[in-house]
Amino acid sequence: MRLTRTEPRRSSSKRIEPVILFAIGNTRFAIAASSVDEIRSLDGLVACSMSSAYRSLRKVKFTFERNKKNYLVVDANLHFHTPPTQATRILVLRNSSVAVLVDSIDRMCELTAVRKLPQAFGGEERIWYRGLTVVGEELVPVVNPQAFLSKAETAVAITELVGGRVAEEGIKIKTEKGAVSA
Amino acid sequence: MSEAAQAGPKENFVLFPLGKKRFALFADTVTELARPDRLHTFPHTTPLLSGVLLRRGQIVPVCDVAPVLIGPDAPERKFYLITARKGRSASEWTALPVTGECELAASEMLPVTAKLPDYVCGLISLGDESVEVIDLERVMATEGDP
Repeated sequence: MRLTRTEPRRSSSKRIEPVILFAIGNTRFAIAASSVDEIRSLDGLVACSMSSAYRSLRKVKFTFERNKKNYLVVDANLHFHTPPTQATRILVLRNSSVAVLVDSIDRMCELTAVRKLPQAFGGEERIWYRGLTVVGEELVPVVNPQAFLSKAETAVAITELVGGRVAEEGIKIKTEKGAVSA
Repeated sequence: MSEAAQAGPKENFVLFPLGKKRFALFADTVTELARPDRLHTFPHTTPLLSGVLLRRGQIVPVCDVAPVLIGPDAPERKFYLITARKGRSASEWTALPVTGECELAASEMLPVTAKLPDYVCGLISLGDESVEVIDLERVMATEGDP
């Protein structure tokens, strides 16, 4: 008797991924909801300027403390090399000490597909984005949360912060209703 | 040797206008001429790319070569010439914004004799007009410097 082994049937349904849509200037981005720990206002931000030789750390413009842990706030405009805009929210990334300053949170939605960035794109965007997705009639880049600050950059920045080498500009940002010019 | 034997083989080209000048691409690299479509933009650092189009379910990068080919004062681009480029691992479409309607021409490609930019891979002679045949890969490799 011949035994036939049946392969487990692969589900034909597409994987659905919840994402948060946020805006920086006129551009809408998506980030996996699972990579965001909290969406905060700008309360408690302390302006800082990294003295590190790491040029990429210049995009860390603020810090804040949450549950006795220091967080580094990346200015998304400096990260994406875009002109300054009015930031009003912070996305605190999960399992990291990094948060991102963004203009606004749009909404949550579910993605069924993230398309690869065309190969013609050969710059930093290949690291910034996991790909592109269609939301309504709009093509939206899906950000790679690890690209805002690498583990090495985070470690250096936290070391500087803890060691007191970061020039805290002593400005607690008043943000009850206001906004930070990012 | 007959005159016909001396002439090189005729090849098909698509002529596209950018301002007052016309350029040519090998016809087999062109897939279609498309009307203006919605340009989706997002931050990036790749020179010459102005965004992407969503066309027949495909994401098509838009490469504005006008600043390289004719300088910064190019007139408004009215159509997209969709070309198939060799990507790093596969062929992909790229849209070139052009300023007017395109034309198909069969002609012999002449070698570049004068000092012309690296992206000119040949010339075709159409009456009084000498049209530069463009190597899109080389244009994109110019890093956006006119």
